[in-house]
Amino acid sequence: MKEKEKTNWLLTILLSVIAVFVILGPLYITVVIALKSPSDMEHILALPTSLHLENFSMAWKLTDYPRKFLNTFFITSINLVFTILTNSMAAYAIIRNKDKSRFFNLMYYYFISAMFIPFNVIMLPLVKQASAFHLDNIYGITLIYIIFGLPMNTFLYSGYIKSLPVALEEAAKIDGADTFQTFWSIIFPLLKPMSATVAILSFMWTWNDFLMPLVLLSDASQQTLQLAQYVFKGQFSTQYNLAFASYLMVLLPVLAVYVFCQKWIIAGVTSGSVKA
Amino acid sequence: MKMKKMLAVGLTCSLAAMLAAGCSDSGKTSGKSSDSGVTHLEFFSSKMENVSTMQKLVDKFNSQNTDVQITLNSPADAGTVLKTRMTKDDLPDIIAYGGDNIYTELTEAGILLDLSDQEVLKTINDSYMQMVYDINGDKAEKAYGIPFAANASGVIYNTDLFQKAGVTIPETWDEFIAACEKLSAAGIQPFELSFKDSWTILPSWNSLAPATQPEGFLDAKKEGTATFLGTHEEVLEKYSKLVNYAQTDFMGTSYDDGNRSFANGEAAMLINGVWAVPEIKKTNESINLDMFAYPASNDKSKNKVVSGIDVMLMVTNQCKNPEAAKRFVAFMLEPENSQLYINEQFAFSPVEGVVQEDASVAGLAKDIADGKVTDFVDHYYPNGYNLSAILSEFFLNKANGMDESENIAATLKKCDEQYDILNTR
Amino acid sequence: MNKHRNNHISPAFYLMVVPVAALFFLLHTVPFLKGIFYSFTNWKGYGNWEFIGFKNFLQFFKDPSIKQAYGFTFQFALSATVLVNVLSLALACGLNGKIRGKNLLKALYFLPYMLGTLIIGFVFNFIFGNIIPGFGKMAGIPGLSVNILGTSKAWLGVLFVTVWQSMAFNTMIYLSGLQTVDKDIYDAASVDGAVGLQRFIKITFPLIAPFFTINMVLSVKSFLMAFDQIMAMTGGGPGTATTTISMLIYKRGFDGGQFAYQSANAVILFLVVASISVFQLKILEKREAKVN
Repeated sequence: MKEKEKTNWLLTILLSVIAVFVILGPLYITVVIALKSPSDMEHILALPTSLHLENFSMAWKLTDYPRKFLNTFFITSINLVFTILTNSMAAYAIIRNKDKSRFFNLMYYYFISAMFIPFNVIMLPLVKQASAFHLDNIYGITLIYIIFGLPMNTFLYSGYIKSLPVALEEAAKIDGADTFQTFWSIIFPLLKPMSATVAILSFMWTWNDFLMPLVLLSDASQQTLQLAQYVFKGQFSTQYNLAFASYLMVLLPVLAVYVFCQKWIIAGVTSGSVKA
Repeated sequence: MKMKKMLAVGLTCSLAAMLAAGCSDSGKTSGKSSDSGVTHLEFFSSKMENVSTMQKLVDKFNSQNTDVQITLNSPADAGTVLKTRMTKDDLPDIIAYGGDNIYTELTEAGILLDLSDQEVLKTINDSYMQMVYDINGDKAEKAYGIPFAANASGVIYNTDLFQKAGVTIPETWDEFIAACEKLSAAGIQPFELSFKDSWTILPSWNSLAPATQPEGFLDAKKEGTATFLGTHEEVLEKYSKLVNYAQTDFMGTSYDDGNRSFANGEAAMLINGVWAVPEIKKTNESINLDMFAYPASNDKSKNKVVSGIDVMLMVTNQCKNPEAAKRFVAFMLEPENSQLYINEQFAFSPVEGVVQEDASVAGLAKDIADGKVTDFVDHYYPNGYNLSAILSEFFLNKANGMDESENIAATLKKCDEQYDILNTR
Repeated sequence: MNKHRNNHISPAFYLMVVPVAALFFLLHTVPFLKGIFYSFTNWKGYGNWEFIGFKNFLQFFKDPSIKQAYGFTFQFALSATVLVNVLSLALACGLNGKIRGKNLLKALYFLPYMLGTLIIGFVFNFIFGNIIPGFGKMAGIPGLSVNILGTSKAWLGVLFVTVWQSMAFNTMIYLSGLQTVDKDIYDAASVDGAVGLQRFIKITFPLIAPFFTINMVLSVKSFLMAFDQIMAMTGGGPGTATTTISMLIYKRGFDGGQFAYQSANAVILFLVVASISVFQLKILEKREAKVN
């Protein structure tokens, strides 16, 4: 007996109204203020009298946006690629041998337990360590992100790989494939959903991260977009219109990615968690 | 499928390559290398307000000295950044910082070069050099830093609004309160306070404390023979009274919003230092303002201008080319350049003969020239002492209606507790 | 049962793990161990230092600012966890209902997650300071006529923003959990007369228990370490009213020259977070097992 597909209009309207005011409200404010001039600020919430696009060009110049964008883009994309490649491989090795070998079992708990170590505990000594190894720059921080992803990603990937039937790998072995080949040609493609989740989580983490760049990247030319906002706030916070234009320019790439990949992103987050 | 295996190997190699690249690249960006005869030095500046002026001077030096190129680095939260870098053993070559307890820390850490032999010292006003000696770690008479600019803290006031209400500049505490009453009666808000940025709570303390605390308190406190409790009640009582003449949301107004309100004529007075003047003028260039010394006491002789070293120039021992660094320091202190700085930043110059003539700070210029100055007391508190947080809580309690004497006692007790913890480390 | 199992592990597996594990040891574990070591010294981060044994830890238990930071952090984490999870669950149920434009609404409600805590903090900082007071004055509500971030209720402002942003992720997790519940179960339940809230408590909730577990553990862990939004909105103030443990470690550790002392603080934080998470997992997994 199929239930009639009756739309619950009350719920729909309620959810829509809340979404508009609570979610879109702050965004509206951000956009509107970014487009205004100081004299328009009398009636804060009203639409700007004219579009002051010069706020954006000034903020672009003052925060050295192109350079910071490139820095952040470099860090985020390199991290994404290498994280997925290396972390999935490590998780595979661990989960397939965990029950056979003390070493891999140890590795499993070693990585997972590290998830509970708050960043603050290692922050101060990490700073010293990183500079001793000349890692307090873009390349170093990228490496650190890749490595620091291991705890969470081992957890996520191993949960997923556990559910993959061993039969596939055994078949590959019979066909003469060695371990690496088995991983890359059979397992890795099957990891797509989880890789999507890991990709999104990594991207969000590195793009929006503030604390690690704050303590590791002292050179202004190497700083990230988020860090630049913090710096900017100190220098130009009297000029809200400039500041908001700057914030908007940092939000726009993420929003663009979201608009195009939104279904894929949400699916990745939800399906990944189900399998985990 | 050998390709996939090669991919794995390739990955490890590229990771290693990145590491190697990181090693070589960081050398270049730290600014300490010299290539083909040109010395690159990093000039670390702590203040955000003077970035544009500093850049002008740096550009001028760079154009006049092709063998030495200076790069200006002026990050936010400079104190934290500098300490982080000290942890990393990655010191800048030249540092511009205030003459406060961080400078004292730097001298104690032994990382600053002694500049006592520099010619340029002869041009510096004695009273400012004395301040330097007073804040040196062991009070040694050595110039680990050279004063570049002095500031002044007092009361910034809107001359038009004062005229409108018929108020003259108060010279004693009682006159100060009377002036507030007169302003209120004329429908003008006397003060605009911005306690959301808790550091702005300090200027009043820095003016009230030296005028009312017992002689030699700062040293006695360090030695543990004096306490805030029992000596600083008057400071908080007076401060509390003053705050009654400010806007309702003084706890929630930020430094920038406060400056903006003042610039737009919404209040007659702002309690802060000369560094706020450029910020105010950014919002309203045509505002008519001046400053007067904070009349903390009814004893006129005790009311001095609080003036400290706003910017000191130091050279660190990690600098690979100290001679070049010293040349830059001497350049900055040339009268022409010092004048440029103080004109744009409304500061005062420690260089003899360089006079601050701007009308906006004329009220203080005479006192400073006469030597009627006293240093910031919070420069003598231990490093890491979070007085602004303690005072912020005092005012939060006040806003919540806590009994005044209870509040004062609890706050001063806290002042002592926190001081003692830091003093023993 | 094949007793002669081939326990030979291909060396390739070692190659997959050892290099990254080595780097992990170097960049994560070593700093962690060093941090623990430093907590037994009086190092300022630079200059000279000496070994002082358990002095830092003794001071830790006497220090009122530590007590305040821990107290506030727990209060904040608890409130945030409860609010976020209750609201997320409610929202997920709503989004799971028969509504139009489901995909658009899902996309909208997930948006806050993408935006990054720092900038959102700055935006709301402005809203609380310049927009809300205006409304409060118009509506005649004294509590809202001032910047809430300057009052003793500042933490509510921070809480609001944290919930605003954190709900997105948890909602999607709950939603995917709800979608794993077979519709037939609901049909069977309604035949038996169970509807609405009853149905939710007795049927839906137990079935989504694993998702509840994930959300709770992740929530508590991340709220105990709140930092970004506080940096952006109150800087730990007014006074120290909104100083979390992370803020304390950052500010005092770097700024206040209390590197070693704050390392001790961080070590204790680790023990706290680890034990709470493990404890939670044990309890919640027991519940899951009972349900199944």
